[in-house]
Formats: sequence, C-alpha cells, structure tokens
Amino acid sequence: MKTYSVLLLSILIVFGTLAGCAPFGWSDEKSSASAPFYLPIGAALIGELPPKNNVVEQAIEAYTHTELQFEWIPMSAYDDKLRLMIAAGELPKLIKLGYAPVYIATIKDGQFWELGPLLKDYPHLSALDNQYYKNISVEGRIYGVPIIRDFGRATIQYRKDWFDRLGLEVPITLEDWYRVVRALTLEDPDGNGKQDTYGMVLEKKYNQDVSSILTRISVSQGGPNKWLVENGHFTPEFMTKPFFDTMKLFRRLYKENLINSDFVVVDTNETTKIYDSGRAGIQISGGNVQTWLDKLTKTVPDAIVDVALLTGPGGIRLPGEAGNAGFLAIPKDSVKTLEEVEKILDFLNKLFEPPMQTVITKGVEGRHWADRGDYTEVLNRTLDLKEVKPYRDLLPFLADDQSSIKPSLQPELYLKNQKIGQVNRAYIVENPALTLESDTYREKGKELETIILDAETKFIMGMIDEEGWNAELAKWKQAGGDQMSLEYERSL
Amino acid sequence: MPQDKSTGNRIFDCINYTLLMLIALICVLPFVYVLAVSFTSPAEVAKGGLILWPKEWSLASYRYIFSTDTLFRSMLVSIYITVLGTFINLLFTSLMAYPLARTHLRGRQGILLAVLFTMLFGGGMIPTYFVVKAMHLTNSLWSLMIPNAISAFNLIVLKNFFQQIPDGLEDSARIDGCNDVGVLFRIVLPLSLPAMATFGLFYAVGHWNQFFNAILYINDSRLYPIQVLLRQIVILSQSSIGDTSIDNTEIQPLTIRMAVIVFATVPILLVYPFLQKHFAKGVMLGSVKG
Amino acid sequence: MATSTGLPNIQARKGKLATLLRDIIRDKWLYLMLLPGVIYFIIFKYVPMYGVTMAFMDYKPYTGFLGSPWVGFKHFERFFSEPQFGMLFRNTVILAVYNLAFFFPMPIILSLMMNEVRRSKFKNFVQTLIYIPHFVSWVVVVGIFYMLLTTENGILNELLYQITGKKIAFLLEAEWFRTMIISQSIWKEIGWGTVIFMAALAGVDLQQYEAARIDGASRWRQLWHITLPAIRSTIVILFILRLGNFLDSGFEHIFLMLTPTNREVGEVFDTYVYTKGMTQAQYSYSAAVGLFKSTIGLVLVLGSNWLAKRFGEEGIY
Repeated sequence: MKTYSVLLLSILIVFGTLAGCAPFGWSDEKSSASAPFYLPIGAALIGELPPKNNVVEQAIEAYTHTELQFEWIPMSAYDDKLRLMIAAGELPKLIKLGYAPVYIATIKDGQFWELGPLLKDYPHLSALDNQYYKNISVEGRIYGVPIIRDFGRATIQYRKDWFDRLGLEVPITLEDWYRVVRALTLEDPDGNGKQDTYGMVLEKKYNQDVSSILTRISVSQGGPNKWLVENGHFTPEFMTKPFFDTMKLFRRLYKENLINSDFVVVDTNETTKIYDSGRAGIQISGGNVQTWLDKLTKTVPDAIVDVALLTGPGGIRLPGEAGNAGFLAIPKDSVKTLEEVEKILDFLNKLFEPPMQTVITKGVEGRHWADRGDYTEVLNRTLDLKEVKPYRDLLPFLADDQSSIKPSLQPELYLKNQKIGQVNRAYIVENPALTLESDTYREKGKELETIILDAETKFIMGMIDEEGWNAELAKWKQAGGDQMSLEYERSL
Repeated sequence: MPQDKSTGNRIFDCINYTLLMLIALICVLPFVYVLAVSFTSPAEVAKGGLILWPKEWSLASYRYIFSTDTLFRSMLVSIYITVLGTFINLLFTSLMAYPLARTHLRGRQGILLAVLFTMLFGGGMIPTYFVVKAMHLTNSLWSLMIPNAISAFNLIVLKNFFQQIPDGLEDSARIDGCNDVGVLFRIVLPLSLPAMATFGLFYAVGHWNQFFNAILYINDSRLYPIQVLLRQIVILSQSSIGDTSIDNTEIQPLTIRMAVIVFATVPILLVYPFLQKHFAKGVMLGSVKG
Repeated sequence: MATSTGLPNIQARKGKLATLLRDIIRDKWLYLMLLPGVIYFIIFKYVPMYGVTMAFMDYKPYTGFLGSPWVGFKHFERFFSEPQFGMLFRNTVILAVYNLAFFFPMPIILSLMMNEVRRSKFKNFVQTLIYIPHFVSWVVVVGIFYMLLTTENGILNELLYQITGKKIAFLLEAEWFRTMIISQSIWKEIGWGTVIFMAALAGVDLQQYEAARIDGASRWRQLWHITLPAIRSTIVILFILRLGNFLDSGFEHIFLMLTPTNREVGEVFDTYVYTKGMTQAQYSYSAAVGLFKSTIGLVLVLGSNWLAKRFGEEGIY
C-alpha cells in the first residue's frame, strides 16, 4: 500500500516543481550584444497565425534595429485579453487599439502617451494626411499612429457582359436601381433559358457599419453619412428622405422577389459564393473587383466584370470611412520614459520608408515576390497569406498612395479599381459624428442601433408599414436617440 | 428463453435498429460533407451543391495546412495538454471523489456543498487571472492544466458512481490490510473503468476544445493549442467581426477551412473508439458483485 | 443545579468530541486524499470569488478592485427596471423549460434504445457515429441548418416545396425559433449525452436480466425494473446540476440564430448582456446579471436536491 502513497506524493512534488517552468522549454533568450531595441507589440490577429520569427519579421527587425516580440491576440478575444493586460499592468510597449468607446475611455484615463506634439520630429509620421489623425483623436489630441485604410472604398461592381446583353446602364437614380435589378433577375442575363439569376443578393449584415448598402445608396442619392448636420442640429440618416426612399426601393425589390428572400439569415460566405459562381449581377463593394473576376472566371470563363464610381443624380457621392483599421498606441504602464517613446516613434517612422513599405505590403523579395523590371509579381499566394498578411493587417502602410514602392503586376481591372479609390477621396461625404463624444452612445449605443437595424429589416420585409416604421423611430428617440443627438450637438 | 424470439420482440428490434441507424446517419452526414469538401478541388466547390463524395480528388487543402509548421506545432501542444491534463484531472478527481463517496466521512456534506457552490458562482475572468498569475502559471502550458484540474461536475458525478460500488468489496480489501488509498487504486478504480473512461473522455475533450483560456493566459503564440488557430481560420472567415480592413480576397476558401476542421477534429474523434473497450469492461463489476 | 444539568452535557460533548476525533483518525487516509482537491478548490475557485463584488461597484480594469467605487445595488436596479426585462426573463425561462422538457430526456431515451441492442459491434458503431456532432462548432451547425432549411435552395425546403407547394422560413420566423434552437441542440449533443448513461448502464449486472427473463419478465418490465433503476441516480444528479445553469441559454448558439425577425422571442439574458457590453465594456453590469442568474440557479439546485432527498434519492450532497 505504501508504494501508492509514495507514488502519489512524488507525483505531487514533481508537479509542484514543474509548475513554474514551461514544459517545452521554449524561451527566447538572445544575447544582448549589440542590443537592438526590444519591442513587444500587442497585435490583433485577424487571419492566420504567422510562424514565429519568420522572414518578414526578421526583415523588419534588421531594418529598424529592433527585436520585435509580436503577441498575436485573436480578434475574437482581443477586448478580453486587453482588459486583463490593463488590469494586470502587463501591456506590451506598443499595442493596437480600435477607435471604440472602450478604448477611448482608457485613453481618457491617461493610460497612453499623447503623441501629437512629438510627431513633428518624424518626417514620415508628420507627412500623413491630417484627416487620418483627426479620425483617431480623443478630445482633439492624438494618441496613436493610424493603421491606414482608404477613406472612400465604395464602388459599383457589375457584370458588364450581362449589362451589355440586356442593354443596361450603370444605375444612377433609385428607379434605375430598380430597373437594373429587375432586369438582371427576370430577363435571363446569362442566356441559359432559366430564371436562375439574381440582380443583387444581400447578406444579414447588409445594413451595418460603414459598408451598409442602405447608407451607400442613400448617400449617392444625396443623403447624409450616418448623421445630417443642419444649423448645428443632428438628424440621423434614417430620418432623412433619401434614406427612406432607399428603404422603399428594397421593400419593393423584396416584395417582387427580386432579391434573395433569406437575406436576414444568410452570411457573407454564401452571398460571395452566389456572385462568384455567376448567379448575381451587381453589388456595391469596398473590396477590389479583380477578386470577383478571378473567382468568377473559374466557373464562367468568359465573364466580363467592370467597376464604376458610386454616382447619384447629383454626381459622384459616397460615404467616407474612418480611414483606419485602428491605431498603434504606447501605454504608460510599460513605457516609462519619453526617450523610449521616441524610440518607438522612430520605429514607426521607419516603417514608412520605402523598403519597409515594400516588406509590409509584399513581403520579402525572392520568397513572396519577384522583381520583373517595371513591376513585381507575387510568387506564392499561400506564403503571402500566411507570412505577409498578418503584418499588412497590423502595421501602417499607405493604402492609397503607393508611389514609393514598385507597382505590382496587376491586371487592368485591379488598377482601375485602385484608381477609383483615389478619385473617391474627392467625393466623400464625411460622417460628422465620427469623433464626437456621447455618453448615451457609450452607455447604450448598440441597443439603440439594434432598434433601428431591426426596424429597417422589418420594413423591407413588409412586416411593418410606414406607420410601424415611425413607431420604431419614436421608440428609438425615447430610448435615448434624442439624447444622443443633443449630446452630439453639444460636443460639436 | 422463448420470449426473445416472439414477434413482438422481433418487431421491436427491427424498429430499434432502424431508428438507431437513421440517427447515426443524420449525425454523421454533415461530417461526411466536411470530409468530402476538404478533399475536393476549390473549383468544384465553387460550383455549389451538396458534396458527399469528391468528384475530383485534391490534396491541395492539406498541402496548405502543412505548408508551414504553425498548425502542426499547435497540434502537438494540444496533444500534450490533452494527455498530461487528462492524467492530472483523473488523478485529482478520483482522489477527491473517493473520500466523498464514503458516506460515513465527517464533513463530507459541507465539502460537497462548497464544491457545488463553485459551479454556480465564480469570481470571473480577472480575479482568476490574478490567481493564475500569482501561481506563476501564466504563459506556460500549465496554465491550461492546473487551473482546471478538477471539474466540479465530473467530481460530483464520479462520486455518485463510486457510491454505487458495494461496500462489501472494499471492506474485504481493508481486512486484507489495504488502507483507503490502496482500496481506491486496487479495488475501486479497476472496478470503475467505464466511469474512468467516461470522465477521461470528458476531460480530454474539454482540454482539446480549450481556446479562450489559452488566449487569456498565454502570450507566446507558439504555445497556442489547435483550437485557437482553428477558430481563427474557420470562424473569422465568416467575416462576422465587422472589421472593414478585411477584404474578401483574403478569406480562406471553403476547402481549406474544412480541411482544417478535419485536421483539428480527427485526433480527438479517435479517442472514443480507443476507450470503447473499457465501457464494456463494466461487465466485470457485475460479475464481482454477484 | 447548574452543574447537575451541565455535567451530562459536557460529558456528552466530550463523548461526541471523542467519537469525532476517533472518526477523523480512522479516516486519516481519506482526509489526506481530499487534501489536494480541497486546496485546489480554495485556490482556484474560492480565492477569486472576491470578484463577485464587481457587481456592486463601477469596476474599471485600470483602477482595479481597490480603486473602483462602490455603488450598491445600482446595476441590479437598472437591470430589473430595463424595459426589456420582462421579455428577456420570459424568453430565457421558456427556452430553459423547453430545454429541460425536450432536450434533457433525449440522451436517456437514446441510451435505453442502445441498451436494447444486443450486438455490441452495432452498438459501438452507432455510438461512435452519434457523438461526432459534439465536435462541430455552433458556427458550422448553424451553417448546416442554413443549407438545409433556407428558402433559397435549401435542400429540405425544396423538398417541402415539391410536396406542399409552399416554403417555410424556418430560420427567420419567430414561431420556429425555439424549435430550431432545441433541434439543433439535440442534433449536436444527443450522442454526447449518451456517453455518461452508457457508462452507468455498463455497471448493470447482466445476470439480473437473465434472472428476470427466466421469471418471464417482458422487455418493458426489464427496462422498468432493472435498467431504469440502474441509471436513476445519474439522471437525478444530472437533472439537479442542469438546474444550476437553468438561465444559461448558450450564448454563441442563440447569438448566431438571432435575427431582427425573431428577436422578440430569441433575445435572452446572455445575448442582451453581450449587446450591452459591445459599446462600453460594462463589466459590473454583466457581473450583476451573472449573479442574478447564479442565485436563481442556487435556489433551484438546493430546492431540487431537497426534494430528491425527500423521495429517497441520494442527491448531490
């Protein structure tokens, strides 16, 4: 019997001693001879986990003379992990934040270094379009370096071959949209004798955030981007006429079975599949149209796709977006001295130099891309996805102005789409409430939004009429919507 | 036994077998779909429709999985925490469950009540994190094994199983000079193989499915178990996170997502058939009892 | 006088103390075995328990537990006075009752069916297949149901259309919501749920069946008198433990199935708290809701355990 107790005790002892150390003995101890600057970075992982110490990471480290330690945190648990890091005082020296109330509250509490006054010493950082900084500012101060994205991404992407066959034009008015979608659905654009196409399919998040198709069409028809400001007075987009007319368009499309009846439950994967397999003809998208064409030609080899500017009766008009996918901030917890702040800013500044911009967007020459004289070519899509994309998602690069790096070998359509992205910049309608403060929004913004999103869907599906819609608006106002408008007015 | 051959019995068996077969089929078909898609070429899948058998076989998806060592490495991490973690779980749980199954033990009810209480109330993420940190477990794989060494649910149910073992057996062992520890390891555990297999399975699956704790407690991404990576690939590609920086170019095709599901699920699926023989061993308990 | 009444008491107490000591010494090995587990529960479950106080403060991570102000029952008051509280409570409770009534018995019925299978090869085969769905994530489950039931080329809906000429929007109509949730849960977990009952059934003495058969007991009688009693205590325990999580609805699952068209029946505490926390991490508020749910669970567990004991069951403690 004693053997058991001895065994037991020894197991307990072994566990006790082992508990302190990592079982695989993986540790990163490097000699600190030339002492590159040690920089742990809290990184949001959007796609796949890149291999540790891969060539991209090494290339950045070598150029910036740093020793980077990326702590990849999956997006799905990013907020929770960050909350723990803050509570435990274990923040890395540089961390990605989103421009959301949770983070803004932390910033206001003085947890992060204010960077605004320091930026002038860093030529690349100070050369950035001021709008990028404005869109991440908190109480007018700058606390981070934006992870830059295009301001105006919305484009109309459509099946040119179908349009030509049916003699259609790119829609401008709401009536045009109705006619185009109707024809693409009922007039057999693919000429196979079957009624098996849609004009357009919606997915369940069709009316959410910046890529809301209701906002995009409504703006093109002269509507505001999320909020209308008149004489210092805030009105939400869904109380304006262009927006309501847009909703009526979709109500009509739904009623006549011209859009998918299951849009309330379908997710993007499914709708993308419908477009990619040549079963739908027009969409408003923020992505590059070339992607659609590439996938489409696998099933419909002779398909022709084109891209057009989002245009309404009053000309080109589209909603402006934040211009960032979050920003990189420096916590005071882990970075104690101004000297260290400067070192980190120096690192970020270097990232904007052409060699680094190339690495961030394309990866390493010879492994991810090859130089072909006037242009570059992606060598291996898989490696690009696994080793370059995570850094492209995280580190700042100039999305719309890549003049500093060699152009990629890209088909004509891709370049056309890219060009439209640049043209769009001049025609965007800003969201006036983007950086404004509202306690009500912070307290129950999502609930208020849900009331309206639900009502929009119910209206389109014919479950409520105009009266019902107005009742929902009243509900929204009373639940805090009015208060929110007032708070925006005051903070303007 | 003439009764067994009656028509009523035969009809019963017939219906029973058919129903079970049907249920099994309904349960396994989706997995067949996942498996089939993972072996199909992306072009074939793009055409749409239900695929239950690949028309054009393709190993491209699996080649993608092995194109870097990240998935493979995280698989090793998962196997490691599952094997070692389950061992720790079974040891600690049975050590605690056995005394609690002895109805004469003083203070037993109080301890059971206290255990039950932890199933309902918890301190939450942040205080638990502080404890794990104070024990110096963070950023090590122990943080995925020690803080959940005993599941209150499994403990209570295992205690119940132990209780059903007739006292007579244990008493005879004690007369032979065993102390309680000996009784547990020599008599009770061997007699409880079906229960141990069951809770071993529960714990193993629990470890295999861990992802949230891994994200919270571990900073070094090389120590992430497979579920963290699986969710990254499968769930985030549903683009449900509303990050506008995601371009649909960069969403993984269905074939790869399915292949990752297969890769991350098959090892744990194999555990059950392996344990199955122990479920049958329960017969022994009956024979000893008689 | 005092001593004459006090003396026997003291003696009795002394006697009790002595027996207690004797018992403890007798069971020293048992207490030693308990020790690691007790230490575990104290360190990892009871030490962090101070976290429940979060429900009574305005907790912020950067100020911590010591720096956050106490606000008493503010969050509870706010929760109970939410305009949606009635709807949330109703939806959560109805779903929980459906779960207990329709989902809980399923694995038991399936186990009994499998127990009637005499060919162990077939039994093993079925068991191996039916537990697979447990490993499929909710996202995939919901995706599969979409493929089957959507009104746009959903496989089953097409079939329904061929037969009846009508399609049913199972996935978005409010009246189908609970049916969908329960049937998805059953599909995913029925096989997994049988594992524990199969283990309990493995302990049944086969000779009992033999004897019953010789006595001429029918299969139903054997089921009633041998099989069910063998797993009864397991059923009771699982039922009581399930009551502890009575108000937990399975956030991820419900959230994936919620649509604007079924929200009035589908929104439950878990999803509501999530939406609340989206714009501002309302730690304290969700802690308060959690505490409310746990308290209800505690009442249900203690009550049902008491009842079980009155009916002669062992119960949990």
